[in-house]
Amino acid sequence: MILKEVEAEITGSVWKIEVTEGQKVEEDDVLLIIESMKMEIPLLSTIAGVVKEIRVKEGEDLQEGKVAVIIEE
Amino acid sequence: MDTKIEENQKVNELEKEEHIWQPEIDEINKRQEFAEKLGGEKNIKRQHDTGRLTARERIKALLDDNSFHEYGALTGKATYSEDGSFLESTPANIIIGKGKVNKMKVVVSADDFTVRGGSSEAASPEKMVFAENLALDLQVPLIRLVDAAGGSIKILEKNQSTKIPGYAQWNMAEMLGQAPVVGVALGPCAGLGAVRVVASHFSVMVKEKSQVFAAGPYVVGPGVNEYVTKEELGGSQVHVHKSGVVQNEAKDEEDAFEQVKAFLSYLPSNVHNLPERIELEDSVDRCEDELASIIPRDKRKVYNMRKILKLIFDEGSLFEIGKFHGRSTITMFGRLNGYPVGIMANDPYIYGGSMSAESAEKIAYFVDLCDTFHLPVVNLVDQPGVSIGTQAENKGTIKKAINAMMAISQVNIPWSTVFVRRSFGVAGAAYAPRGRANVRYAWPSAHWGSIPVEGGVEAAFRKELSASENSEQELKNLIDYYRKFESPFRTAERFGIEEMIDPRNTRPVLCEWVEEAYALLPQLVGVRKRTMRL
Repeated sequence: MILKEVEAEITGSVWKIEVTEGQKVEEDDVLLIIESMKMEIPLLSTIAGVVKEIRVKEGEDLQEGKVAVIIEE
Repeated sequence: MDTKIEENQKVNELEKEEHIWQPEIDEINKRQEFAEKLGGEKNIKRQHDTGRLTARERIKALLDDNSFHEYGALTGKATYSEDGSFLESTPANIIIGKGKVNKMKVVVSADDFTVRGGSSEAASPEKMVFAENLALDLQVPLIRLVDAAGGSIKILEKNQSTKIPGYAQWNMAEMLGQAPVVGVALGPCAGLGAVRVVASHFSVMVKEKSQVFAAGPYVVGPGVNEYVTKEELGGSQVHVHKSGVVQNEAKDEEDAFEQVKAFLSYLPSNVHNLPERIELEDSVDRCEDELASIIPRDKRKVYNMRKILKLIFDEGSLFEIGKFHGRSTITMFGRLNGYPVGIMANDPYIYGGSMSAESAEKIAYFVDLCDTFHLPVVNLVDQPGVSIGTQAENKGTIKKAINAMMAISQVNIPWSTVFVRRSFGVAGAAYAPRGRANVRYAWPSAHWGSIPVEGGVEAAFRKELSASENSEQELKNLIDYYRKFESPFRTAERFGIEEMIDPRNTRPVLCEWVEEAYALLPQLVGVRKRTMRL
């Protein structure tokens, strides 16, 4: 079992969460959308697996590098 | 005397002469056999058990069949009988020579980990430096296959002295300006090993099998009280995915060699020659319908830039360099009508495509690379600007962005810019050098300026907006008012852009440009000189 932390690529706010805990995802699936620089920037899964934990809420501000989602391979 | 008898006597004398040296001739072969045996069966098995090839197997896998010509096979540590005759030898742990990669002559140096773990104790610095200088003398690419544990303190006993570090005869900087250099990490690469991987035009490391570091875990532990595995210290997760010290990751050794071959296929063998065109099936007139609607009308939505590149450039011709570092900028080699070109493009998925500190470093490296080997560049621009915010400021992003800007402005290669969406601010100005055959095209989705309307309006009217009772509506009105000036057609009216094109015509337009670019290249060959940056 490998846990992969998916970090925010950019500072902004969580505009929309596109997955739920327990959901299966493929590599490059959209996990959530960060609103930053007046754009909707998707945060993509870096591996295929199951969403183990979502560590952010919609509307929340987040810094670049913050772990937003944990995927279990 | 009969002429025939005379001739026969001459032949006999010659044969006799040849045989005088037969023992020594046999000794050459005998010594070469020891070289073939590397560090012995046990150590070869150990190397294979770790999933790694031996130095000789690597050379065979990399080079064209039967093209390897070795130098210094006899270098090593020999033992002799009491009467002084040769008994056996252990070869030095580096194998060097020349050969061919896809018919292009190259020099290769390969560390042999089966002899004392590639340690400096069994090394031959003279051989290593000879390979470097041979490539420079022959003006051909140099490929370093690195797999060396690094310096050993036992060398002090061997040499009975110490020496000031460095190799006086090794002119690394000169070589980087003359011919392609490739560094391949195939095992632990510490100290000098790390230099030989990193000081190159292209570096690649094998995932989970190779590591690159200034010093390995056994030195780091007691040195800075940090006890980590070699993979944690310098694996591809560190140097390909975070630091950018090594450009590409390979899934195995075969993949690494394929990447080396691919990289070299776009370059001339030295800076005095031109990159080579190859015949391809792809039509220059191919117009992809998808391009007309690939950029979303909604400015908040992103799109897939790599897909755009695939639709424009020759089919199957793209080779990405540094995919996992400075990811808001994509850098690739590719082809247009068979002609090699450098490609830069923004990836809106990462930082909105903005110029981060990491992508600025990547741009400076990439344009230097293209300029050094005279590869014309195509830049597909969707640049929102230099990355902003406290984290970006702390990283010194603006200075690194200016460095990238200087790098771009100093090149003398033909350059084509295609504005596909945004081009804003300081980074928006760093899209092309001033030079010959530099043409700018814009898609209808393009817009530009010193500051985007969104954000710009809020900054300029912050007092009015905060005093307003209906600030949201007021903001919308202001944005609508300013946005109408943003149309690229208004810029075209003032000749602020040379040509607006149907995105579907991008390939034919660029294929025409690349012919003009290559017609100019013979005037631009030679060693590039650059002034100071920052």
